[in-house]
Amino acid sequence: MKTPTLVKLQPLIAALRAEPLTDNLPESLTGCYISDLLSDVLAHAEPGMIWLTIQTHRNVVSVAATKDVAIVLFTCGRKPNVEIIAEAEAEGIALLTTPLTTYEAAGKLWEAGLRGENGHE
Amino acid sequence: MQLAAAPHSDVNASDARRISIAQVLVYELRLRDAMSKPPITAAPTDTLRAVQHLMKARRISGVPISNGDKLLGLISIEDIIRALDKGYIDDRVEQHMTRNVITLRDHFSLVRAVAEFDRHEFGRFPVLDGNDRLVGVLTRGDITGCLMQHLERRAEEALAHEAALRAERVADDAADRVVIRAHVRTGDYDSAGKLSQRMRQVLRERGVAPEIRRRAAVVAFETETNIIIHSLGGEITATIDPNEVCIEAIDIGPGIENVEQAMQEGWSTAGRLPRELGFGAGMGLPNIKRCSDKLEIKSDNKRGTRLRSEIYLRKAGVST
Repeated sequence: MKTPTLVKLQPLIAALRAEPLTDNLPESLTGCYISDLLSDVLAHAEPGMIWLTIQTHRNVVSVAATKDVAIVLFTCGRKPNVEIIAEAEAEGIALLTTPLTTYEAAGKLWEAGLRGENGHE
Repeated sequence: MQLAAAPHSDVNASDARRISIAQVLVYELRLRDAMSKPPITAAPTDTLRAVQHLMKARRISGVPISNGDKLLGLISIEDIIRALDKGYIDDRVEQHMTRNVITLRDHFSLVRAVAEFDRHEFGRFPVLDGNDRLVGVLTRGDITGCLMQHLERRAEEALAHEAALRAERVADDAADRVVIRAHVRTGDYDSAGKLSQRMRQVLRERGVAPEIRRRAAVVAFETETNIIIHSLGGEITATIDPNEVCIEAIDIGPGIENVEQAMQEGWSTAGRLPRELGFGAGMGLPNIKRCSDKLEIKSDNKRGTRLRSEIYLRKAGVST
């Protein structure tokens, strides 16, 4: 596994105009993965990443916890229900929501210095 | 999905409607299990006095009269008393026996036999098999005796089962083993990940390396979702000991048509709903394979699929 470059979270939240849904935000991120397919995330997400998705059901939390993903960012203004938010807090997963589309959000993250390292091997 | 608190408690027994074992037995057991056999009989040419002696010797109050296994009639203790009273005790049985005898069949349930006793108020019934052969005699005492015997056997079985569970628990403790079991229902997307969540907790408590813990969690989660999406339901077990995690799943069908095809990335037979939820990427089995140190899948088109994945905890395996 590559050694991830850590990027501070606070400037990213401002750039994304993101609203935190949980109060367990990490200080930094190791990278980003984007997919709405759960098995794809299980295959490719890495610990400490932020995961962008439009899926808001409770399996998202399970998948994030399985891979030790740090934050799930729901795009296009989507929000999960309160039970799912509570579950995420119990699992130590932070949740954010942004009005931006997945593409726009990805652009903001890239601009802020959160870069991919070596693609899909 | 119901999570069984590992490793012993069985799920949901208390939810079943409570029926006593005696009630179950009275439906399960057949007359042939309870009747006295072979029947003690007399011949039509015997004297009533001979039957009286037979009753006394065998402590019975009624004797079927037969020719071989063909039932001809019945002599009861009342017939004998009347014969003594009226002075014809040395007559032949065929002159005085009841000829229209009400019989029961050996395949009847005991509950039906009890109803027949209540209806006819007889002390005994001759029992015939499907070919009208006299095969036994049934009294209320036979029914009680049979129930008592089976209750005792059930009680012994229950004790043996408990002892076996206790032994298993002791063995699990000795081997430092934790077993997590879950029933998985088809289409129950909300419950996906319950078992893997519990398993992750145990692995974290045991200080298992995060990389290995994540691989085990991926296998458990994908296995759970496979059962939910593709099967008619099944059971999944995670056995954790100091050396390995073993994840086993059994479903009740319909089976994987082509396992090789299912192992290919991108191949999926998932329907619309699971796809909308982000399942059905065609990566489930490939993910399981990649994260397992050892994997066996047996699928039978009729009987369902068995999966067994091992993840070794002592040495680092493939990286996710």
